[in-house]
Amino acid sequence: MTTRLSPALIAIAALVYVFLVGPLIIVIGASLSDTTYLTFPPQGLSLRWFENIFEITAFRRTIVTSLQLAFLSTGLALLIGIPAAYALNRYRIQLPSWLSTVFVLPILVPEIVLGFSLLKSVAVGASVPIFVSLLIGHTLLVLPYCVRVISASLASFDFSIEEAAISLGSPPARTFFTIVLPNVRAGVIAAFILAFITSINDVSTSLFLTGPGISTLPIQILAHVEQFFDPTIASVSVLLMFLTVAVMAIVERTLGLTFLAK
Amino acid sequence: MTNAHYRSLAGAACVAAMLAAAPAVAQDKTLTISWWGFNGEKLNQFIVQPFQEKCGCTLVFETGNNADRLNKIKIRGGEGVDVAYFTDGFSQIGIEEGLFQPIDRSKVPNLAGLYEMAQAPQGEYGPAYTIGRVGIVYDSAKVNPPITKWADLWREDLKSAVSLPGITTTAGPMVVMIAGEKAGTDPFENADPAFAEIEAIKPNVVKNYNTGSEMINLFSTGEINVSLAQDFALGQLKAAVPTVEWANLEDGAIATLNTVNIPKGSKNVELAHEFINFILSPEVQQATAENGVDAPVVTSVTLTPEKAKQWTYGKEMIDGLKRVDYSKLNAAKSDWIDRWNEIFGM
Amino acid sequence: MLKRYTGWTLALPATLLVALFLVLPVAATIGTTFVDTKGVLAPYTSFFASGFRRTVLWRTLEISLVTTAIALVLGFLTAYVVARAPGRLKSILIIAAVFPLLTGVVVRSFAWLIILGKNGILNNVLVGIGVTDEPFSMLYTQGSVIVAMVYLFTPLMILTLVGVLENIPEDVIQASASLGASPSATFRQVIFPLAVPGLIVGAVLVFTGSFTSYATPQLLGGERQMMMGTFLYQRAMVNFDWVGASTIAAIMVVITVAVVLAMTRIARRLNPMTT
Repeated sequence: MTTRLSPALIAIAALVYVFLVGPLIIVIGASLSDTTYLTFPPQGLSLRWFENIFEITAFRRTIVTSLQLAFLSTGLALLIGIPAAYALNRYRIQLPSWLSTVFVLPILVPEIVLGFSLLKSVAVGASVPIFVSLLIGHTLLVLPYCVRVISASLASFDFSIEEAAISLGSPPARTFFTIVLPNVRAGVIAAFILAFITSINDVSTSLFLTGPGISTLPIQILAHVEQFFDPTIASVSVLLMFLTVAVMAIVERTLGLTFLAK
Repeated sequence: MTNAHYRSLAGAACVAAMLAAAPAVAQDKTLTISWWGFNGEKLNQFIVQPFQEKCGCTLVFETGNNADRLNKIKIRGGEGVDVAYFTDGFSQIGIEEGLFQPIDRSKVPNLAGLYEMAQAPQGEYGPAYTIGRVGIVYDSAKVNPPITKWADLWREDLKSAVSLPGITTTAGPMVVMIAGEKAGTDPFENADPAFAEIEAIKPNVVKNYNTGSEMINLFSTGEINVSLAQDFALGQLKAAVPTVEWANLEDGAIATLNTVNIPKGSKNVELAHEFINFILSPEVQQATAENGVDAPVVTSVTLTPEKAKQWTYGKEMIDGLKRVDYSKLNAAKSDWIDRWNEIFGM
Repeated sequence: MLKRYTGWTLALPATLLVALFLVLPVAATIGTTFVDTKGVLAPYTSFFASGFRRTVLWRTLEISLVTTAIALVLGFLTAYVVARAPGRLKSILIIAAVFPLLTGVVVRSFAWLIILGKNGILNNVLVGIGVTDEPFSMLYTQGSVIVAMVYLFTPLMILTLVGVLENIPEDVIQASASLGASPSATFRQVIFPLAVPGLIVGAVLVFTGSFTSYATPQLLGGERQMMMGTFLYQRAMVNFDWVGASTIAAIMVVITVAVVLAMTRIARRLNPMTT
């Protein structure tokens, strides 16, 4: 990357980051406050609200459920979403143009309607167990990000490179993994992050699909804030930020998705 | 990024999911309770653990707020849950939707020890296990003279200083009833005068809140000085803004009761009755009241003034409360919500 | 010709998932709005008969489009810088961009209350530098809803675009420059057209996200800024009126599909490679 960026552009980007990160300082401050209510600037520093998350069994249990759901649904959505995104770009001629709109449907439909419909027809109608219904709901919810974001990266990919490799005798599947995927790494990473965060934050769909014995963290938080106004909710947000960094680090290590410049 | 990586990740995740999804049930007897899911640790100590030991069964929970849980019971046709906790407004909807079964009162002997108001608040259906009030809270440092009656909410000096509960919350429709009272008419007969009063209070209203925590937030950031509130929020509100006081209203606060019901499709009706009887026992009521979980409805529970301070407690206070006719209210609610939206949403 | 079916085979699992678990169940739900006793379209005519509901619909559309436009510009410029950042810094910037998405809605509205409220940071600054004598509340206005929405959706735009902008080959840009094109001409004729597919995906995600949101407008806008999502939620969860809620949902789906198709059409004109 050698193109010089104009200082004005850098300044704008810096301002956008101030806008994005500024409110987080308030959230982090509030989570460290030694008061029983949310306040900023924090009065006295304490980690008690972080301890609170782990002391409350309901939070502990739901964090585990939320993480399982986020990993599984993101994994599944990538597994079926990457081939779909590839097909949309590579076989554009053979596929109808409305197909790409199909993959946006899950976020077009207001979430509580999706949750309600799934509960009615899948969980109750077909007696699908709670966790599986939740998994189906979350996979649907994150699929648009996987398909569309990766598809957008593929749009600027030059498929003639792939053609060349195949014509030189490289098997198509291997070519895909060695040539196509590395080139849309940023897109896959972005899709993974967005999907993971969408799943771990989801309220509206999960509202209906959680059931006896199984609940997710945002639902638990929602019930908590009906009654309590303590900084636990801010601590949970901060904890999620740490978790995201950790998850991204793990993804980087295990999947070899280095962010390092090409 | 290789396929093998993906497979191993997905495999590991699947195993983890199965372990989690495997029913955590060792015994075959389970009782499913639908409740809010806050105060979990204390409830675990005073209700869940003792009851599980007593019955040799396992309690499983469905958590969430009133509307979400009631909607789920409705979609499931009254199945999936054995005991359901709701505020009285919502349990009335459940009763009218035909989701609950009558309580066999011979199986709940502890009912005899309850305040009359709590024994059968909604006919043959569930009793109340706790009681609360809706009243006015105000910041005594900023509001002078103090607030003494419902009509004070309309005072000129409270311009842009008031928060009302949203029409969709428990206390929301009560605003319409109070407005009707101020206008001197019955809002269930003719809502026009009540809504004219609500139009008149609009300049005083900054924002309407939807949860207790949102209301406390509005107070602590100085956006409002007066609000309608339920008494459970008072302790936390005082922690955030020490100068906030509960107004002693000469025309009386409004009672809110939390009820327990047995849904129509319960598979453990016997055990459900046993559970309801258990939470209405003087011992459990005493323990939960002393530990700041719920106000007691058992007459024999005695609390020190210090402990009683935060609760709706004692015969005198409870007798002085106004009751809401929820069947009338629920019938009118849909129309009220539309009219309320017209006023605040335009 | 086997190749004809390769595309379909690859897209099939995802298509099936959407068809089975989304299209069918949701169609069943929305179907309930057409079997009204008062007539086939009764729920719809009653929706549009109310001035309040039309206002809510119009406001929702307005807020969503403005949010999308602002997020598009901010996201594009920022993503352009992020995509060109050196390795380590880039990953830090990407992670930092998603943090706002992790703040729960309650905490987020608390943060904006601290910033925009009567005794908020912004008012203190304005009074301090003498711009205004009286602090004024910027909350519960259309502006505060848009600010909160832009805050929430700009990260989405940045993430979508970083991948796209990275894939624009450096030599194309250099070639354009060496042929004597000014930076702005290079941007207009090379970078922008290549980024169009990404811009559209971002715009679609942001528009649908803001069009269906309900918690953010409720907490930062209140009833005075009610949007369709909040209205739908109220219908369903408070009135227990699922037919009414499904009606609102159907109207929302039709409008979002129309907007998405319009966006795609515009994009195709700018860059035929857009999917």
